[in-house]
Amino acid sequence: MAQAEATLPSVRYVSQRRRLWRTFTQNRAALVGLAMVAIIVFVAVAAPLLAPHDPLEQSVVNRLTPPSEGYPLGRDDYGRDILSRIIYGARAALLVGIVSVAFGGLLGTAMGTVAGFRGGRVETTIMRVVDVMLAFPDLITGLLVAAVLGGGMTNLILAIGLTIAPRFARVAHGPTLSLKNKDFVEAARALGARDGRLLLVHIVPNVAGELLVLASLWTASAIRLEASLSFIGLGVQPPTPSWGQMIRDGTIHLTDVPLFSLAPGIALLLTVLAFNLLGDGLRDALDPKAQA
Amino acid sequence: MNQQRDREMHELAAAVAGGQISRRALLRRAAMIGLSAPVIGGLLAACGGGGNEETEPTSPAGEGNGSTATTEPGETPSGGAPSGDRPVLRFALDAADLGTLDPHYASSTPDRTVVDMIFNALVRYKPGDSSQFEPDLATEIPEPEIVDGKQVWTFTLRQGVMWHPGPQTESYELTADDVVFSLQKSANSDTSAYAAEYTGMTFEKVDDYTVRITLDTPLSPLLFLPKVANYSGGFIMSQRAVEAMGPDAIKTHPVGTGPFMFQNYTPQNTIELVAWDNYFRGAPKLAGVTLRFMPDPSSRELALQSGEMDVVDGISEARWVDKINAIDGLTADVFGVGEVTFVNFDMSREPLSDVRVRQALAYAMNREEHLALFGEPVAQSVYSVAPAELMAGGLTREEAEQAGVAYDYDPDRAQQLLAEAGVQNLTFEVVTSELDSYRKHYEALQAQLAKIGVTLTVNVVDHPTFHSLIRENVNPIVIYIAFRPNPDAYFSQFFHSDAIVVTGPKPNTNFSHYDKVDDLIEEARAETDPDRQVELWKEINTRILQDMAAMPLLYINQVYGRSKRVDYGHELKSSLALYPQITELTTITG
Repeated sequence: MAQAEATLPSVRYVSQRRRLWRTFTQNRAALVGLAMVAIIVFVAVAAPLLAPHDPLEQSVVNRLTPPSEGYPLGRDDYGRDILSRIIYGARAALLVGIVSVAFGGLLGTAMGTVAGFRGGRVETTIMRVVDVMLAFPDLITGLLVAAVLGGGMTNLILAIGLTIAPRFARVAHGPTLSLKNKDFVEAARALGARDGRLLLVHIVPNVAGELLVLASLWTASAIRLEASLSFIGLGVQPPTPSWGQMIRDGTIHLTDVPLFSLAPGIALLLTVLAFNLLGDGLRDALDPKAQA
Repeated sequence: MNQQRDREMHELAAAVAGGQISRRALLRRAAMIGLSAPVIGGLLAACGGGGNEETEPTSPAGEGNGSTATTEPGETPSGGAPSGDRPVLRFALDAADLGTLDPHYASSTPDRTVVDMIFNALVRYKPGDSSQFEPDLATEIPEPEIVDGKQVWTFTLRQGVMWHPGPQTESYELTADDVVFSLQKSANSDTSAYAAEYTGMTFEKVDDYTVRITLDTPLSPLLFLPKVANYSGGFIMSQRAVEAMGPDAIKTHPVGTGPFMFQNYTPQNTIELVAWDNYFRGAPKLAGVTLRFMPDPSSRELALQSGEMDVVDGISEARWVDKINAIDGLTADVFGVGEVTFVNFDMSREPLSDVRVRQALAYAMNREEHLALFGEPVAQSVYSVAPAELMAGGLTREEAEQAGVAYDYDPDRAQQLLAEAGVQNLTFEVVTSELDSYRKHYEALQAQLAKIGVTLTVNVVDHPTFHSLIRENVNPIVIYIAFRPNPDAYFSQFFHSDAIVVTGPKPNTNFSHYDKVDDLIEEARAETDPDRQVELWKEINTRILQDMAAMPLLYINQVYGRSKRVDYGHELKSSLALYPQITELTTITG
């Protein structure tokens, strides 16, 4: 017995999780994305330490002054420090991006898995609603919901979450259909597991990978949506700094104080890029077909 | 510089009263981001332009030898011969779309701009100088007579004034019938937004060229003539055209007697006017005017710089004026009438019912900062709501200081007053219009109040929603921007108890719920001695400030950019139509 074992070729067991990590870390773009996301999160969390000024402090007499000492990106409409507002703006962007995706993701996943698991009329109802919602471009849905609910951070999160939910529902629905007939689900059912447990313990974890990729990609879109809605005044309310609103306020002064619009625009660009890179990396790592 | 005209927004406001945002506002916002433009274009195309002819392809905005005067059925031009190479003036409006071209409803700046070129009135404000009247459709400005205790104004009409041909009417000569019809339309609240201005007035035709207007209560010329001048209800509309087309069609195809005739309207795009060569003052020097809807200020500025536009609605900021003036070939016009910005405190609710709290907030406001948001000479500080800078009866800075009501910035005093009133952790929640002109004041106020420990929560809504919400008494603190021609109009509409929002007998714009000067306002209105009247008005101004019903901040002028090649044909000092005024004498040189 002992001998036989010794003669076997050594097979290194590689856990699923480690394999994922290895694939992920071999992807340079993904690593860059991860690093950027980490930096942005750090900036948002440490905003009070990093910002040179109070982002709300006005000095109207010094409005729209070009970059100067202590104000490396200049001052805005009300004489507020643009750099400090960009730093604090990361908070709004991330908060809206992450919370709305979490909300939309949970809601959508619940809709998709329940629809797939239950089948029948429940499925038809949920999935047709999802189809209808998917028929609209995300910005239009966001616009409609935000217009009905009004502005403000909470409403914005709700609006974006509701916009995103059907995308998660669609992705969660398909795999649930095949998973619910798998042996291990049948086995669990035979052991007396109830529907709720079957869903939460046996089905959702098996869909989670794909949903995670979706979440990271949609975080980028949610941040972009936040900026778009804030740009048109339906987003974060003043005086809370928001990149979208800064871009809008700056457009009128684009020719003489370009940094007012461009700087928050660049911050937005980098953040969206970071989440997209991260999402792409995760997708490549999780996609069995993409693995070498 | 644009739609912030609050004036008579009631209608618009009422229209959207239901939801947080109107369909049009939603569409406009959507359109702003471009992404959805095709969707919206489709939608609007589907809705159709509603009865306006778009048969003629729009003439390109290039150098204008395009639209020469069109020929009208059965008419031969009698004025100066139209030549084929007159230029077309291209004018950028600050609006996404038209409101209405029925002059008895037009209230936004873009709408007023268009109707001003198409219509005439019995008398007119001198182009470019709204402080003087001159005859328009009337041959002269009459003297009033008293007949049976009533004041009678008899107007003799010009002969040979021809109406523009309309879609259902041919050109015909204007007579007293049209004038009486039109003034009666203005006086009817079902067909006019300005009916209240015409109560106690009767209009009758004496003969084809004579109209008699009888007033139950006599008015001085300065209070009467605006009612028959080229502003709001004073514009004369064609009886035949209005009756043939009905009240809706006339909104998108106005028929007037002015120097320019309506040609076509492409929603959210352009309005085209062509020269009316039978115009009674002579054929216009321009072949026409093309007005484009360009709600984005940067686009208007670029269009002006690139030569795509000749005149554009500007940005009410001194830096913009300087920037435009620094560009070769361009110039910025800064002109009246100025609009006053003031902050109303709703004294019907705690804790603003305590005068000390209101005064504290006033002392916390920094006029210098509000002024700096716009810059001189575009804006000027004012020291009473009906300001001395614009009209007799206002308080100058010195007068306000003498009376102890200048309210110069004094945060320490503010905090002291709050302490005396015994209030702490004050919090107010308000909505503001998304328009810069309002939002900037609210945001500046927010920071100023924060310094004395008062929290102001600001929610941004679109402009019509803002107007409807403040009329529902949603805001404890209402910042308002308004032009009124005289102190009486300011006081009656903002500080007379009749005009208290929601609960007043005739709710208008008394946001402060102020009711302590009713008798003074009425006394001043009836006063016939001008000096005494001015004295009373100053007293009312002082009382308003002592009770701190409203804090006056500044007035803002109109700002337009133009190519130096454009010659308006008049000196530009002030315009009630809030645009530089384009007349038959306007031309483009070089």
